[in-house]
Amino acid sequence: MKFLNFLIILSAAIALTFTSCKKDDDHDDTDHLHEGNVTIDFDHVWGATEEAFSLNKELTHPMLNEKMTFNIFKYYVSNVRLKAKDGSWYAMPESYFIVDADPSGSNLVTIPNVPGGEYTDVEMTFGMDSTRNTSGAQSGVLDPAKGMFWSWNSGYIMLKAEGTAPTAANGTFTFHLGGFKGENKVQTTKSYNFGTTALVVDGDREAEIHMVANPARLWHGAEKLSVKSVNTMPNALAKSMSSNYYDAVRFDHIHN
Amino acid sequence: MIRHKIRFLLFFLLIWGTSCQKDQDKSDFGLAYPDYFPEPYYKFGKNTLTKEGFELGRALFFDPILSIDSTISCASCHSQGHAFADHNTRMSFGIDGKMGDRNSPAMFNLAWQPIFMWDGGINHIEVMPFAPITNDVEMGETLENVIEKLKKHPKYVQRFQSVFGEKPIESQQLFYALTQYMTMLVSDDSKYDQYRQGKVSFTKDEEDGLQIFKAKCASCHTEPLFTDFSLRNNGLEILGDDFGFGRITLHEEDNYKFKVPSLRNIALTYPYMHDGRFRTLEQVLDHYSQGIVSHPNLDKNLISNGKLGIPMSDVEKQKIITFLQTLTDYTFISNPIFSE
Ligand code: HEC
Ligand code: HEC
Repeated sequence: MKFLNFLIILSAAIALTFTSCKKDDDHDDTDHLHEGNVTIDFDHVWGATEEAFSLNKELTHPMLNEKMTFNIFKYYVSNVRLKAKDGSWYAMPESYFIVDADPSGSNLVTIPNVPGGEYTDVEMTFGMDSTRNTSGAQSGVLDPAKGMFWSWNSGYIMLKAEGTAPTAANGTFTFHLGGFKGENKVQTTKSYNFGTTALVVDGDREAEIHMVANPARLWHGAEKLSVKSVNTMPNALAKSMSSNYYDAVRFDHIHN
Repeated sequence: MIRHKIRFLLFFLLIWGTSCQKDQDKSDFGLAYPDYFPEPYYKFGKNTLTKEGFELGRALFFDPILSIDSTISCASCHSQGHAFADHNTRMSFGIDGKMGDRNSPAMFNLAWQPIFMWDGGINHIEVMPFAPITNDVEMGETLENVIEKLKKHPKYVQRFQSVFGEKPIESQQLFYALTQYMTMLVSDDSKYDQYRQGKVSFTKDEEDGLQIFKAKCASCHTEPLFTDFSLRNNGLEILGDDFGFGRITLHEEDNYKFKVPSLRNIALTYPYMHDGRFRTLEQVLDHYSQGIVSHPNLDKNLISNGKLGIPMSDVEKQKIITFLQTLTDYTFISNPIFSE
């Protein structure tokens, strides 16, 4: 028993030496800050007026001039990284999220255990890397039971928008946008600079990045719902609709 | 101090003992195949193959719990006696007597298969079961609901835990277990295999048939698995609106291409082709000799000297069929470890 204790203490001591060594290496004035969580909050707004977006609310698309009520709006965000003041990056391991407008899900992306420090940029991928689309059975948010995976044409549905629209055939619209190969990849990596204020990560101190996203953007360049209300496979339309949406996601402010 | 030393020793003995045990497990249970087979395509990776995992997969394969109304199991459409193809029906029946639109393929040597379904739309064996479970006319279930049902089933809860550890059942474990079962379905004991291993000899007709086969068919149905897993148009007359691979890629040049199926166990798996249009091997060979229909996507191997089709005499056709009979693996279709 004593011997075991000794072993544990010894290994703890070794581990400690190593971690403290590391700290010494990247010594700067933020050394005293503690590791903490960073939250990215996706605020969904509608159209140029940026009225509040929510599910089960009748909205009018300003360009299509058609009424629509969403009952599903969710999408994958992955591979989130934060850029520190010194230019180094902190990449969250296993970084996959579903941003969901439904209150049963979450519009928050939480990056746990970010090293204490000041950060100037965030980078994320809308959609996800192709590897995950070809690696077989996944778990967690990547579990096909989440309803975001095509059974007959393997690959993730990277963005799902469904609802009702009086002008659409059958009165409903269904857009499942995805695709990870070739010219129709529904995935794009974006990075956003926070401007003059840095994001401070220090233990329990709040560290929030507020993003604004606009689902109306999906139809910038797409046809009216009366013409096209269903698209459920990887193709050029999936690419253009998703790109229009992703491109309009913008950084709004930091909450420290 | 001495006591501590003894404990320490015991500790090492224990570790050594378990690793020893593992080695033994490996030799007893694993994916075995003849040396003329290539390396398997599937890598078990995180899905550690064990006897218990395989047996759990087998139980799930035969259990209608995976369908919405508990009437249809995987085995309903994939029957061991037919090399895990359907019971010689053209299309398969799922829940409520609903009929699918393609012929159920046989299932064996799946660990070597890189793509699945007639149109190659599924890119990984682990996610293969997701399709039939959720297909409206096959098992009509949702994955969420299947997992809920399994979680309420004390026998399964216990079995999943003993294979995957003490954590809630997730679809990944269901897929892993089914994959262990599916990949273990190795068919390598046909007369052809025994011939390759020097255990038996071929008759004159079988030998002739093999040579003709090599010359006329093996460019697509490549030995020893009897498929090269490519997607091709083999000149079938277009009967419906099944675009095959084109449905997946949306490229016109992929329309009407289908996965080259293995010809192992072919005598057991009639009717033939993605829509089960031919009942006999004679019809299949007549198709290749005089039934080939021209199409921009028709495979070049099926045009010789500007003429459509593979030139074959009746005698040659008969010899090919005689050879194809040697691909039936009676050990495989009666192996009790694959049955319920
Ligand atoms: C209602 C009948 C039916 C049921 C039930 C069914 N299948 Fe199938 N299976 C088919 C058909 C038909 C195909 C071919 C589908 C296609 O290509 O579009 C197929 C294809 C497959 C393939 C691909 C084989 C290949 O060579 O590409 C595998 C593997 C498979 N099924 C396994 C399963 C498993 C595991 C289950 C249970 C979870 C199951 N099937 C349940 C009818 C069925
Ligand atoms: C150009 C490639 C090619 C060549 C050469 C070829 N096949 Fe095929 N074969 C295919 C494809 C592709 C299919 C599946 C077509 C479909 O279902 O639409 C197929 C299907 C079959 C089937 C049906 C299998 C099943 O499970 O339903 C048989 C039997 C068959 N071929 C035998 C032969 C024989 C015998 C030869 C030589 C005379 C031959 N093939 C030459 C590509 C080829």
